[in-house]
Amino acid sequence: MTSPELEHFDPAKGQMTLSLDAGLYPIEVLYGAAFVLLDRAYVLLDRDGEEGRNSRYLVHLRAKSPLDEAGLRALAGEFGNELLTQALRRLIVKQNGNLIEDITTRALAGAAGGSAPVDFLEDDDGLDFLDDPLGIAVPWEEKYPKKGGGNP
Amino acid sequence: MTTATTVRLHKALYLPAAIQQAAEDFKDFAKFHVELDGDHHVVTLTDPDPEADGDIAAEFCNFALAHTAARKRRKPG
Repeated sequence: MTSPELEHFDPAKGQMTLSLDAGLYPIEVLYGAAFVLLDRAYVLLDRDGEEGRNSRYLVHLRAKSPLDEAGLRALAGEFGNELLTQALRRLIVKQNGNLIEDITTRALAGAAGGSAPVDFLEDDDGLDFLDDPLGIAVPWEEKYPKKGGGNP
Repeated sequence: MTTATTVRLHKALYLPAAIQQAAEDFKDFAKFHVELDGDHHVVTLTDPDPEADGDIAAEFCNFALAHTAARKRRKPG
């Protein structure tokens, strides 16, 4: 990526205009970089030329507090750096979007509590809870009656 | 005498809803009129509050930009 070009620079008024190739910088990157400077500078975006390859974004910056020439140049440099940061961040999110989504989904599912295993839910043998095919509920006396009959 | 300030916001870079929201934010400090002129939204500020601190038009532009960026982030494209 090429760095933004300084189109206009007026240290006396604390303002400058940068231009950058609209074909190289996605609009989200421009918004992100401009957003970072909003607390220190007045930012006005414009576009030179029709949408397409030769179009350029114009970024008018004016410092909110008085800045000398070096300070103003530092602000321009910071804007250029922020463009690269935003572009890199966008690339990382794009490359790892599925992974981030998967991890988030698993974390939320874990926090919501585990569900019963699917194979357990599907294990339906048609028995009612009162059925006793193994005779477990049959009293011991009934299962093994005394041969003599009477009380000792 | 009424003081009027005009700012031109490119329609490809600023959302109309964001401009309206910024105008709503600053309604206590000036009157806003927005109209479309070619590729730009032309915002005219009149009757600025004389006691308002700072540059109302420039702050308005910052707010319009911030609202646009926030809206684009929520709904890309």
